[in-house]
Amino acid sequence: MTIRHHPADETLTAYAAGNLDLGRSIVVASHLERCAVCRGFVRGVEKIAGVMLEDMSPAPMSQDALAHTLARIEREPVLRNEAPAAPSWDDADMPACLKPYEMGRWRWVGPGVEMRPILLPEDKVRVFLLKATPGTRLPQHTHEGSELTSILVGSFHHEGGDFFAGDFEDADGDVEHRPIVGKERTCICLVALEGQLKLSGFIGALLNPFVRL
Amino acid sequence: MENLDFSEAIVAVARRRDRAAFTALFDHFAPRIKAYLLRAGADEALADELAQEALLSVWRKADRFDPSRASAATWIFTIARNLRIDRFRKGWRDVAVGDDLPEMIDEAAGADDIISDAERGERIRNALRQLPLEQIKVIELSFFEDHSHAEIAKTLGIPLGTVKSRIRIAMTKLRDLVGDLS
Repeated sequence: MTIRHHPADETLTAYAAGNLDLGRSIVVASHLERCAVCRGFVRGVEKIAGVMLEDMSPAPMSQDALAHTLARIEREPVLRNEAPAAPSWDDADMPACLKPYEMGRWRWVGPGVEMRPILLPEDKVRVFLLKATPGTRLPQHTHEGSELTSILVGSFHHEGGDFFAGDFEDADGDVEHRPIVGKERTCICLVALEGQLKLSGFIGALLNPFVRL
Repeated sequence: MENLDFSEAIVAVARRRDRAAFTALFDHFAPRIKAYLLRAGADEALADELAQEALLSVWRKADRFDPSRASAATWIFTIARNLRIDRFRKGWRDVAVGDDLPEMIDEAAGADDIISDAERGERIRNALRQLPLEQIKVIELSFFEDHSHAEIAKTLGIPLGTVKSRIRIAMTKLRDLVGDLS
C-alpha cells in the first residue's frame, strides 16, 4: 500500500510541537500509525524541539515543587500492573490511537452515510468516524474551518485526487469538493472537523438539517 | 552534577528507582518544561503543576525510555507535549484520554546509538545556526506558541503574506534539517 496523500508539513509540525488540539492530534496520529514517512518527519521535529527545550531559559519552580513531587513518587505503587497495550480492540482496521476514547453510537446522517462520534472532553473540533457505502456520492460541501480526514478503509475520490486507506486529506475552509466513495467496498474515515459542515447544491440543502455533524 | 548524562539518569530511575537521579532530572527539566508551558500560554500555577506532572510521568514511564532511540530531552519533551495536548485547554475535565497518543514503537526508525545526547544536540544546534534568524523565529513561534498566522504577523510586525511565505520556507528548511538528521 503506497500512501500518496499526507498531512501538510505545518500540520505535522504543529502536531509534533503540541500545538494541535486533542481532536486533530488523534486524527493525525491515526495517519502516523500507518505512515512511516510522516512518522520519520515527526520524530525529527521532536528531536529539534528537544534541543529547543534544553536551551530554554529555565523558569524557577515553586518552592516546594520538588518535595511535593518526591512525596508523590513515594506513594506510587512499586509494581504498576499496567495492562500491556490491551488487545481489547477488536477491529484491526481501527487505529490504536482511538482505543482510550469512548464512542457514541452509529447514526444515520444521509443516504448510505453513517457517523459515530468520538466523545472528547472538548468540542472546538469534533472527531467522528464516517462510514459510507460503496459508490455513495457525498453532497458537495465546504467547511467553516479545517477538516482533517484519515482514510481507514476503502477509498473516496474527488477533484483533489484519489484517497485510499492510509491517505490523509488536509483541507482548509476554502476547499469545496464532492467526494464519491469507491465502488470496491465501504469507506470508513476518521474526521476532525472544525466548525460546521456546509452542504451546497440541491441535495445538500435538503440534507443540511440532518447533517448536524 | 555537570556533565551528567540525563539518559543515564532516566535509566537509573527505571532500573533502581534512583531518587538522586530523579532529583537531578527534576532540577534540570522541570524549570524548562515550565518555561515551555508558560510560553505556550499557561499561567504560572498551571505551568508549575504540569511541569511536576511531567516529571511524575518520567518516574512512571522511565522503563519505556530507550536511549538508543531518543535523547533524554526529546523523550521528556514528548511527555510534556502530550500533557499539554491532554490538559492544556479551556474547561479541561479529568477524563481518560490517550496518554500514549504518539508513543508508537517504530522498529523502522534507525537507532542512532553511536552518538551521545550531547553530540546529537550539538548537531541540531549547528544545523539551526545555519538558518537566518527570522526563520528560526518563525519556527520557534510555530513550535512553542499556539498562534495563528495572523497573530504571528502582529507579533513580528510583518504582513500576513510574509508570515505565510516565511512559514512555507521555514517548513522546507525544517524538512531539510530533519532529512539531514536522519
